[in-house]
Amino acid sequence: MNRSRTPFYIVMGIIVFLYVPLLIVIINSFNMSRFGGEWGGFTLKWYGKLFNDRDVWHALSNSLIVALSTTFTSMVLGTVAAIALYRFRTFLQSVNNVFIYMPLVVPDILIGISLLLFFVALKVHLGLFTIYLAHVTFCISYVAMVVMGRLQDFNYSVMEAAMDLGASWFTAVRRIMIPILAPGIFAGGLLAFTLSIDDFVITFFVTGPGAATLPLYIYSMMKHGSPMVINALTGIFLTFTFIIIIISKKLLEEK
Amino acid sequence: MMKRIVLCLLAALVVFAGTSCGKKETELHVYNWADYVNPEVITQFEKANNCRVIMDFFDSNEALYAKVKAGAVGYDLYICSSYMINVMYQQNMLKSLDHGKIDNLGNVDKQYLKLALDKDMQYSVPYMMSFAGIAYNKDKVKNFKASWSMFGREDLKGRMTLLNDVRETVGAALKFNGFSYNTLSEAELAKARDTVIKWKKNIAKFEVDEAKRGLDAGEFFLIHTYNGDALQLMDQNKKLAFAVPEEGTSLSCDDMVIPETAQNIKLAYAFINFMLDPAVSAKNMEYINYLAPNTAAQKLMPEEFLKNPAVNLPASIVKKSDVLKDLGAENVKYSKVWDEIKMAQ
Repeated sequence: MNRSRTPFYIVMGIIVFLYVPLLIVIINSFNMSRFGGEWGGFTLKWYGKLFNDRDVWHALSNSLIVALSTTFTSMVLGTVAAIALYRFRTFLQSVNNVFIYMPLVVPDILIGISLLLFFVALKVHLGLFTIYLAHVTFCISYVAMVVMGRLQDFNYSVMEAAMDLGASWFTAVRRIMIPILAPGIFAGGLLAFTLSIDDFVITFFVTGPGAATLPLYIYSMMKHGSPMVINALTGIFLTFTFIIIIISKKLLEEK
Repeated sequence: MMKRIVLCLLAALVVFAGTSCGKKETELHVYNWADYVNPEVITQFEKANNCRVIMDFFDSNEALYAKVKAGAVGYDLYICSSYMINVMYQQNMLKSLDHGKIDNLGNVDKQYLKLALDKDMQYSVPYMMSFAGIAYNKDKVKNFKASWSMFGREDLKGRMTLLNDVRETVGAALKFNGFSYNTLSEAELAKARDTVIKWKKNIAKFEVDEAKRGLDAGEFFLIHTYNGDALQLMDQNKKLAFAVPEEGTSLSCDDMVIPETAQNIKLAYAFINFMLDPAVSAKNMEYINYLAPNTAAQKLMPEEFLKNPAVNLPASIVKKSDVLKDLGAENVKYSKVWDEIKMAQ
């Protein structure tokens, strides 16, 4: 019997559409020609320009500060929310459930503008802190969703067993529940990190003076900036991502 | 565990509160397009005034307006397009400028100011300008004439595009007939409408982005586009050229303004004055490849820059051009004409 070649073509198609554009961007980041239409010779000047552009670094550090603190907070709050939803089936929890779902379905632009109006009404100073609050608001939902998925397979009798053997509820959570849920919590955290680091719409509205993040900078650069510098930035980001993936794979294999 | 979490959260709050409230006397917050000012110039300003310039960015004029209208504060200076500044001014969102504090004001191109929306620089000072025109393929278009009448040429049938933008395209036809881009006269608009309908028979379509790719690939021979885009295309493809129609064109300008909510007004004035300095303005032109309406600075630019029709606009054409103005409720007149054009066979 002849094996169908269709899956092979589909895989090739996916590889071409996913990776070739990335490759082109990286190759172009070394291109001398300002607009990257034709190959104008090898150069590192775009990387040089990028490293000398302090606005980029300022934006990047802002993005990282917000993303890391958002990840941490939403991991904690999202897990707590998921456990509460799993454990208690009261009327209040069904309300909580709606609240958790809400940010997933409400359009970003509505969240953004309503948070801005809210912060302005409360006279909160706009800046990294308001971005952080806004990001936590929608990241909690994603973490809670992922952790709730993990809880579906969680057998509550192990908790009961631990408590029968004398552990307090709190110890049982800490020693039994959290370790079992950990992969879900981390997966949720990674999701929160990615969502936070590339959010544009909500961030634009709640950001304040001196708190531009990387997506804001890149979007704004489309108007007048040099696309080659964006290519160089993409090149660096991709390299880092691949290094992190390789390291984490190595770590997992060693275990 | 719980205690630790709460402590961490509190620590995070304190750190954030610290970073977001630490606004110093010596900081200037500029709300601007990204990569729109030469970084060298910024460093120079910081040294001269012993301060820090902090840039924030928006991706469209409309987004900026939505944000500041909703009450976002903390910016000392905006750099954005004239038409949006005009809207903000009408809503009392901008400070009137004290000309005594801007010594370099005399450098601004007087020819340009005659057309500007804010002719006396009451509330805004121009920074950089851009304009629409015609990009074409030198090999394919014979007997090119820098005129809007090119769109009436039947030998180029199906190989041309006009901008899919009511103000730009109806405006080009208005100019072709000798009227203003901002006219409110229905008779003039009707005449422009008939012109566009005649052009429509010759063009392939009304397009913005696809047209640029088509011109580069050889599918289109002549397109209606903006100078900044044409500059990019010409850099890629040596067969292309750009020209500004002799009848005049549409100008748009990015201006510097001080919002009503600005906190560091002294530095904002110093910054405007600094940006108008001829040497500084020339450095910015070199960096972003746009033309600043600054007579003294233009004299410092190399001939190659000033000779490029996709960068420099000859004074004779500036005189005949218009700055697009936000027409508010009167926009209906344009959309009505535009609908008629789209419906016409």
